[in-house]
Amino acid sequence: MGRQLTISCFRYNPNIPGDKPRMQDYKLEEHEGMTLFVALNEIREKQDPTLMFDFVCRAAICGSCAMLINGRPRLACKTMTSMLPSRFTVMPLPVFKLIGDLAVDTGTWFRDLQIRAEAWVHTNKKFDFNALEVRMENKTCEEIYDPEQCIECGCCVAACITANIRPDFIGATGINRVYRFLIDPRDERSNAEYYEVIGNEDGTFGCVGLMACDDLCPKDIPLQQNLAYVRRKMAAAGLKLDFKGVKTS
Amino acid sequence: MELAKNLQTTINRSYGKTDLYVDLAQSISGVLLIGFLWMHMLFVATIVVSPDLFNRLSIGLDEYYLAQVGIPATILLIIIHIFLALRRAPVRLRDMRITYRMAKMMNHFDTWIWVGQVVSALFVGVMASIHLWIILGAWPLRAATSAMRVASTGPADHTWGGFAFPFFIVFYVIFLIAGEYHGGFGLYRILVKWGWWDRHTMGWVLKGITVVIVGLGIAALYTFTQIAANLPAGGVIQ
Repeated sequence: MGRQLTISCFRYNPNIPGDKPRMQDYKLEEHEGMTLFVALNEIREKQDPTLMFDFVCRAAICGSCAMLINGRPRLACKTMTSMLPSRFTVMPLPVFKLIGDLAVDTGTWFRDLQIRAEAWVHTNKKFDFNALEVRMENKTCEEIYDPEQCIECGCCVAACITANIRPDFIGATGINRVYRFLIDPRDERSNAEYYEVIGNEDGTFGCVGLMACDDLCPKDIPLQQNLAYVRRKMAAAGLKLDFKGVKTS
Repeated sequence: MELAKNLQTTINRSYGKTDLYVDLAQSISGVLLIGFLWMHMLFVATIVVSPDLFNRLSIGLDEYYLAQVGIPATILLIIIHIFLALRRAPVRLRDMRITYRMAKMMNHFDTWIWVGQVVSALFVGVMASIHLWIILGAWPLRAATSAMRVASTGPADHTWGGFAFPFFIVFYVIFLIAGEYHGGFGLYRILVKWGWWDRHTMGWVLKGITVVIVGLGIAALYTFTQIAANLPAGGVIQ
């Protein structure tokens, strides 16, 4: 006989006219190896089919099931209920648009981020279908793999006070994304071009250094190091740049 | 959140270095101010060694015009730093509410520390002004005058009748802790944003330094009260 869990769950469907945001309690019995993902599915199957939440992979790869668990952004599939008290709260991530209950739309936000950060390899090399791929040093490959692990769950954005109060801030995930291309030798962008993308208050210089991203990243990406690297690199690049101003008066 | 290509953003982009300069200036002014604070506390702590050393140091600073240049420069730095750091603080009520709510909900250590930094900044700003006003009004600094000030029991000692409250001791203890807290964690944050080091190790080193500096400050305050107690009635003011 497992513990009796009480999950206090945020409920609100913006699509139902007149629906009011509220907290609703669900009770269920805990069993061996239960994750919050399993618990929520049990609730949806057996108690309340109207409960909305996102999931796809249940293995911390898709980044869909991020939510505030007892106030902290985490992945539901990577959170064992045994780590939590018998009564806890679940709420949707802030910053992102609420779809309903625990489900938020991270897609639109991240799509916009990809465009702003120009998150693709910029190269002028013509692709030759017949040639062998250019080999990459193992060390470089490992270095790129590190920031590349980002699953775009949005935990770092939700945990960031700056992202919460300044909607234009690109967040740790955005700076980390630029870092990924900065260290990729295939990307031919100059530092000045990267600076154009991220060398401003909405980018790397907007970070206050609260490090909730670093502490709460479900993939344990070393965000402190990556963010500081981008900041140093962009500061060095920016100091060398020459901008022509527009005289407005 | 897509950056609108309107007139303002286009013009701002052409001044593309502003954000970098402002961010750098905030960090640099912060580092200079914490450097000033720690040096200041070491100088004040010479009182623990001997009042004579304290006096000689004070005279030396005046003789070489370090005080005359240093004090206005520090005031200017403080103004610049307040102006630059303000843009990072949650200034709208809505932002304050989000900040408080998120900090409370996440219960995340570094986020709470930052909330404390915003609050301590207000204390430091006001108290530094009061401190400077009093110091400059009683220039030059000597062990005896400083001791009298620290030990005085009210803003205007005898006009408050029998009421005696160790006003300046309380004032300086709060000022010391607020200043050290703000500066110590401020330096931590600057190093986190720019540096290479692991922030957990760095955090412990800076906490250690902060405890030492606060300890020195408390020791200096205690020594001042002892000196004041041993001064002849009314105090001999040099």
